[in-house]
Amino acid sequence: MTQKALAADAGISASYLNLIEHNRRAVAGKVLLGIARVLGVPPGTLSDGVESALIAELRQAAAHLPRQAAELAAIDELTTRFPGWARLTTALYRQTRDQETAIAALSDRLTHDPFLAESLHSMLSNITVIRSTSNILKNITDIEPEKQARFHVIIHEESRRLSDAAQALSRYFDHATDQNAGTATPDEALDRFLQRHDFRFPEIDAHPQANAEEMATTIAQVLQGDSGLDSTESRRLAQQAMVDYAADAQKMPLAEFRPSAEKLRYDPAALARMYGVDLHAVFRRLTHLNGKEGIQIGLVIANAAGRTLARRPLADFSLPRHGAACPLWPLFQAFSHPGTVQSALVELPGQKRFIALSHALAQDAPAIGTPARYHSAMLLIPVGFQDRLGDWLPPLCAPQPIGISCRICPREGCKARSEPQILGDEG
Amino acid sequence: MPQLRVLIVEDEPNIVESLTFLLEREGLDVHAQSNGAAALASIQTLEPALVILDVMLPNRSGFDILRDIRALPSPPRVLMLTAKGQARDRQMATEIGVDLFMTKPFSNTEIVGSILALLNDG
Repeated sequence: MTQKALAADAGISASYLNLIEHNRRAVAGKVLLGIARVLGVPPGTLSDGVESALIAELRQAAAHLPRQAAELAAIDELTTRFPGWARLTTALYRQTRDQETAIAALSDRLTHDPFLAESLHSMLSNITVIRSTSNILKNITDIEPEKQARFHVIIHEESRRLSDAAQALSRYFDHATDQNAGTATPDEALDRFLQRHDFRFPEIDAHPQANAEEMATTIAQVLQGDSGLDSTESRRLAQQAMVDYAADAQKMPLAEFRPSAEKLRYDPAALARMYGVDLHAVFRRLTHLNGKEGIQIGLVIANAAGRTLARRPLADFSLPRHGAACPLWPLFQAFSHPGTVQSALVELPGQKRFIALSHALAQDAPAIGTPARYHSAMLLIPVGFQDRLGDWLPPLCAPQPIGISCRICPREGCKARSEPQILGDEG
Repeated sequence: MPQLRVLIVEDEPNIVESLTFLLEREGLDVHAQSNGAAALASIQTLEPALVILDVMLPNRSGFDILRDIRALPSPPRVLMLTAKGQARDRQMATEIGVDLFMTKPFSNTEIVGSILALLNDG
């Protein structure tokens, strides 16, 4: 059949059919059905290139709500006869899916918000005391006068604490609903900021020896160019992260550090000696080599309470954002051997193995009678990278099973488990 | 009948005070420990018939203490008392082997009744 005959039978002009054939016009609706009818083929075969994405998304939408029993066999007909409705369905599906993701994230945040958890715990304790003590005063008549007075004082104290806690909670929600505060916590905003910049600041690495004023300008420019920092606190955290980065860059300029690291086979202790810096600084700097020549090094630094102070996750080793990491991490064991670098082979569920170097470091100069604050760092090197490390790495023992955090860890019978997992049945 | 001993492991002094008052009126010998890390030692020294255990304690979680209690040769009965009332905490406490799990705020009648029932039961 000639193009001209086909166009005539389908009720369109030959030039329009030509445009369709060369993908310069989208084909849908009556025109598509007309051409398919003339050619004697299902309309879907003509629209594959144009509408396959739409069809795939409609299938996903149908799978999302299987109870609605959408007629999958009629997807072709829907997209060709009613392309607008099909697009509307997929748009609504996308919107629903995005909103579900956002709700899950917010709900997760609410569950893990340390301030909310602490406030609720404290208020329930206050209420418990007030309820129990007032009940004693009401129902028990033979109380000694001193004890009676004491219980009145307790009720007074606890009701004042309850009132303070309620006011603090109210202020917290006022702040949380502030449009400028955004939906992320400052820590989350910092994480996203670092991810947007791939955890590196070439602007700083280009001129690591810039003076303080020049460096401040560079940092301000980067911050200005980033629209994702929507609260004062998140901007402050991002600025601090860049100031720390600049300090490491100044002591270990990347142009020198990269070849030195390769030459020393990534030996952190040797690099620390070479640059006269502490091991945590070298750990941080090693993660800045990521991406080049297949290097992928992860890092987490925490204080003694387990709060994460710096994190560089890896694709195969995510780091929980809200505390409660796996207590079996060598990161935490290092606190019991401060100053020593410990190496271990660790294995996540799914048999993903990493070399973990951990090291707890005092943050203050020694002072008589004042306990030192320690930060612990754990460097994570995928085991596949081992042949690029030198013989500075002691022989590794059998892999130690660890997880990410109890809530998402499927390990059965783990003695370190502190809360049930939420992934469904174990195993 | 010897006086039955109860140990309250709880870091809120006012809760300890009201519970102590209520339980002493029932003729019990009541002791208290506010530090999670020292709880097990107190249990081993005092050998109480019942431990009233808070979940959120300074230095050590109630779940960890409960595990240690269960490993003792003749463990006391344990009533876990917590402001963390979520189902998963209750499930966890049950899995470790708690005798009774109660949430704050409690009613005096209910808690005293439960404690006496646990003691009489054992």
